Amino acid sequence: MRQAFILAALALLPGMGEAIYFHDKVSWQSPIPASEMVTLTQARAWDKNTIWVDARPDAEFEREHIPGAVLLNEDRWNELLPRFLTMWSPEKRVVVYCSSQSCNASREVARRLRDEAQLKNVFVLQGDWEEWLKSRK
Amino acid sequence: MAQIEKVKFVWRIVELVVGGIFIYAGAIKALDPIRFASDIDNYKMLPWMIAAGLAFYLPWLEIFSGLALILRRFYLGGLSILTALVCVFTAATIAAKVRGLDITCGCFGHASQNWSFSGHLALDLTLLAALLALYFKVGSGNRLRIAV
Repeated sequence: MRQAFILAALALLPGMGEAIYFHDKVSWQSPIPASEMVTLTQARAWDKNTIWVDARPDAEFEREHIPGAVLLNEDRWNELLPRFLTMWSPEKRVVVYCSSQSCNASREVARRLRDEAQLKNVFVLQGDWEEWLKSRK
Repeated sequence: MAQIEKVKFVWRIVELVVGGIFIYAGAIKALDPIRFASDIDNYKMLPWMIAAGLAFYLPWLEIFSGLALILRRFYLGGLSILTALVCVFTAATIAAKVRGLDITCGCFGHASQNWSFSGHLALDLTLLAALLALYFKVGSGNRLRIAV
């Protein structure tokens, strides 16, 4: 037991060091930093400068999606990304959504667009698809 | 005598493989803690703040415990921590499946992104069996020493 405590305490040191090193890259309040989220009202106000990206599985997209939205999910990332990039231009703002607040796909797709495709102005829609549905009622 | 040496050699291999797996898994996650925080958050079991804290801490705990097995320092401590971690990971994976969550385990960073549930479970159970076997080895070694 004593040995386990010593190991657990030793692991704290580099863990804390890393947390300090990454302090500006991680938000402790929310998985998505506030600067990377956008409300539906804000996104709508951008109007034609917005590209809606649907990060849900194909079947859900086919059932219904935000008008004009482009399908870009992780299941078929390599296949769908080139199609998305043909619609993208530097002045556009990209707003990604998945099924609901608790889903993770929008966050992941937004992260990959930033990190892998090197795009700027990529946001996650607050409340995701559920929020869109609520706004129609 | 040669038989005993062979058995010792086999146990050493098990220690090196299990320790190595945890060092590798920990190192991959330590390199991208934000991604790991997101993977923990996918399980929807902990508040984000705790998930983020664990993402910085757990990889190092795995690395240190893996090293303990390989270097045979704090051996039992490392074994206990790794066994507890594997039990928690297994329980969390099963709970996520039961709740219908489509999760990335994050066990080996990007490498494990497309693993199926049964793949996760098979690895967890194999590791658990290996860790319990190492416990058994320590226990039987102690009994032998006491008897002698």
